[in-house]
Amino acid sequence: MEPAVSRGKKAAAAGLFFALVFIPAFIFSGLIVGREISRLYAMVWAIFSGAAAFAIAYTGKVSFYRRLFFSVSALAFLVHFKLGLLDKVLAPTCFVSTPYCHIAMAPYFLGYLYQQYLALMSSGWRLWGPLTLGAAWLFVTLALGRGWCSWACFYGGIDDGLSGAVRRPLVGTGRLRFLRDLPAALLIFFLLVSLANMAPEYCLWLCPFKFTGAFLSRGGGERAAQYGLMGLSLAALVAGPLLTGKRTFCSYLCPFAAWQALWGRLNPFRLTGDAAKCSACGTCERACPMNAVSFAPGARPEILAYCNLCGQCLDACPSAALRYTVFGLELPSFGGAAGALVSVKYFYVFSALTLSSAFSSLWAPAALRDMVKLIFG
Amino acid sequence: MPALFSEGFLLGLSTGFYCLAACLPLLAPYLLAEGKMAWDFNFGIFLQFTGGRFAAYLIFAVLASVLGEAGRYALPAWALPAAMAACGFLMVFLAVFRLAGRDSPCLLKSDLNPWFHRIPLLLGFVTGINVCPPFAAGLIRLLQLADVPKGLVYFIGFFSATTLFTAPVMLGTPWLGRRASEIGRLTLLLAGLWYLALGLKFFF
Repeated sequence: MEPAVSRGKKAAAAGLFFALVFIPAFIFSGLIVGREISRLYAMVWAIFSGAAAFAIAYTGKVSFYRRLFFSVSALAFLVHFKLGLLDKVLAPTCFVSTPYCHIAMAPYFLGYLYQQYLALMSSGWRLWGPLTLGAAWLFVTLALGRGWCSWACFYGGIDDGLSGAVRRPLVGTGRLRFLRDLPAALLIFFLLVSLANMAPEYCLWLCPFKFTGAFLSRGGGERAAQYGLMGLSLAALVAGPLLTGKRTFCSYLCPFAAWQALWGRLNPFRLTGDAAKCSACGTCERACPMNAVSFAPGARPEILAYCNLCGQCLDACPSAALRYTVFGLELPSFGGAAGALVSVKYFYVFSALTLSSAFSSLWAPAALRDMVKLIFG
Repeated sequence: MPALFSEGFLLGLSTGFYCLAACLPLLAPYLLAEGKMAWDFNFGIFLQFTGGRFAAYLIFAVLASVLGEAGRYALPAWALPAAMAACGFLMVFLAVFRLAGRDSPCLLKSDLNPWFHRIPLLLGFVTGINVCPPFAAGLIRLLQLADVPKGLVYFIGFFSATTLFTAPVMLGTPWLGRRASEIGRLTLLLAGLWYLALGLKFFF
């Protein structure tokens, strides 16, 4: 928002942005949860999404309110999906028995394609999943791209929320720079071994959420190794961000981050630096929770493909040298509070917030229902 | 003899996917790590790898035929895990030295050791002695045939068909760059550790 605009006009524009996000969020959320639980829960979730939109538009700060929305969404996932497995009190919806995880899908993609090929060859073409799943993923990639990792992913929400809770990090991640491409290596490795063994090897060995017992081997030594690697993964998800202030799981262990870094190029939204405004102070590199800004002293920062457009560097930059663009280009600017909404930044926030609000409707309203039941019986 | 060649070829064609799944975790990371943007260089790697595999197949063909002639119809149980562990060890060794950087005192450097150029051959050989299910099926047939020339023809047919499945891995290599090599080395390390663990699991 432009600083010269009065508070009243800013509030009116932010209110308009609230409505723009709330309406589609409520429609999609209602459609998703309406068959199982009251639409009232969907409305509460849509109001929360709209409130995040209002705050972003009113303050002009993207990342703080994005992180709030993102972390609450991830927390809701933990409440509904994971605690639902442990405690029968929290009656699960159908989502609990059929987990759908995008992180597992990417490294199992070749095996998945082969299975679909077999289904096609055995005349089971009506069961051909890629038509629906592939279309859904393509839609998400076109609308959000790499932004998926900073707005919608339930793992990312935990990592991001915890990394934001740290004021002064105890440990630096500078020495881990040589591991920055580990997610890409993990993606290729798991693609190959999952194809070789026809099993979702990522889920079997590295998923931090598998501690509830599923997928564990019966053998003593193998089970111990699984616990060890899953423990490492969980430590990267929970302890890593608290110690370093960075998203350690997403930066070093998530194969989907590499997958989306590759395919996210299809998405038009970009984070672009203005060399004329940049003072080469390095604030953006320190602020980036994904270690996706490469910065040599005296040189201009380079934004790596792992950037997931969270906006943290954009809010931190003292000279406002970073901005959201469409393929590096900006829209013509309009005056006034409402006119400021017609910018790439707010198009992107609208796209990201409505889509992630609709996606998280798979669990967030149900988690709210779980909590209400738990408290009021 | 043509009938035996066809039999081996058909076995390779029908089970080639499993061969691909067994060879790809080795060949793909190696090509990523060591390949260049020059297609002919990468093709050289592929040819050496395939040559190593071919040599392993021929040795197995002779061994299995001799064992069949001697009336022994089984391989020692440790053969497969030992081959896997050897394969994994070689990959880890290579990846660790390559990750250590260009300035490290590395015996694998081409200027220090000309045998460095032959590593794909060795990698292909240890891949070849990894007894995957289609390979085991061919081996049993060889034990039954118990004839060295016939065994060789049968495995040449099998090798020719399975190579058709591994060849497409070359398609992506002209786009390899420095970044892809760095990713490839990390992948090579992961795949090596995986094979090493799978092999050593048998002995502990």
